[in-house]
Amino acid sequence: MELDETLIVKKRGRYFLLNPELKKLISEDFFYAGAYLGKERRGVFFPSFVLLAMIAERKESNKIIVDDKTEWLFIVGRDVFKRGILQVVGSRRKNAHALVMNKRGECLGFGRILHNLEEGEVKPKVAVKNVSDVGDFLRRERTIEH
Amino acid sequence: MSGKEFFVNRYRKLGWEFKPLKLRQAMRINTCNAKEAEVTRRLESRGVELEPISFVQHGYWICKSPFSVGATAEYLLGYYSIQEAAAQIPAALFTGLEDKMVLDACAAPGGKTVQLADLMHNTGVIFALDIEKRRLTALANHLERCHIENTIAYLMDARSVSHLKIKFDRILLDVPCSGNFATDKQWFQRRTIEDVQRNAELQRQILTEAVRTLRDDGEIVYSTCSLEPEENELNIDWATKHLNVQAEPIVCYGETASTEILGKQLSSSIANCKRIWPTQTQGFFVCKLKKRVDP
Repeated sequence: MELDETLIVKKRGRYFLLNPELKKLISEDFFYAGAYLGKERRGVFFPSFVLLAMIAERKESNKIIVDDKTEWLFIVGRDVFKRGILQVVGSRRKNAHALVMNKRGECLGFGRILHNLEEGEVKPKVAVKNVSDVGDFLRRERTIEH
Repeated sequence: MSGKEFFVNRYRKLGWEFKPLKLRQAMRINTCNAKEAEVTRRLESRGVELEPISFVQHGYWICKSPFSVGATAEYLLGYYSIQEAAAQIPAALFTGLEDKMVLDACAAPGGKTVQLADLMHNTGVIFALDIEKRRLTALANHLERCHIENTIAYLMDARSVSHLKIKFDRILLDVPCSGNFATDKQWFQRRTIEDVQRNAELQRQILTEAVRTLRDDGEIVYSTCSLEPEENELNIDWATKHLNVQAEPIVCYGETASTEILGKQLSSSIANCKRIWPTQTQGFFVCKLKKRVDP
């Protein structure tokens, strides 16, 4: 799906991307519809994992590719250590945001680069702060259960 | 009327001898998100033992796993869902789902909704309803996790679906029911026949409303995880007599439903329904209904 503004609807701060058929049928009192893009809270936009996967398909997006152990640590909410990074695509600058991907090109979430990731430079251990990871689905399940 | 002895005697009269069981955990691959062989290979390479379920497509028994299969990257990326084996049957009974207008009237927490969307290849439209906000939130999470794009969810009672003013090609009625002892250890202590009768009445109301919104050539799949005939054979018999629908032959796992239930003779088309007694799966009942066509 392409991000066509005419097909985006907003409900209570949450954004959804519809296809033309859904757009024709949807009524105002829907709870969830189409592809969930993310939510806005206090002026900050929190992208969904669906949106992150769409961004990951774009060549110009910043990506941090991590090894298997780091993949697991990231999806349980941990930050990314420099030693776990296999490749950096795009910006390496401090405070840039980047998608965190595994070796198979799967998007696990995104983070904020804490230090310039220039090659050869000696850096503190934690390189990328975890902002959002797919392990959140499990945390949501537990919240709903309780 | 309640208690284990009461219900076990009932099941005996229905042709089944009670025995305690341990349910097998099962999963289903979301084939729109990943190749089935690749998902199984990845899990098996990490020590998960899987066995294909013989009576459903893309379904696997989880025989053994060194970790929780509900916490893997593959699960979190939406490549598969944890879904009880019998629960994978209803959605697969529809014919020609692609590009259709589909209603999942009692959808949450969304396992069958996701399965429907996968069978539809994310085409057409699914209207997914549930009456409880907390459960609808679980449904929304499930849709997001599995990258479903063709579904609209409403906080809505299934008995009010005609307010949407839409006629549906396919309707899934996986209705609220009394459940069964296989999934609830306290079931025999909790449930009474009055609960069963109350649920049966609710189910008839949902059926009535669903038939009103069904296209003339449409299909309804009705399912419960109850073992009680009031919620199953007797309700379908009622529907065939009062709602101008008939039970269609289906090919799936399970025993042919009986047309004689606790001394009552039912319509012969009830034999087209399927009843599953708990063994490796939970108890289940499923049937397909279509509007009766005048000759």
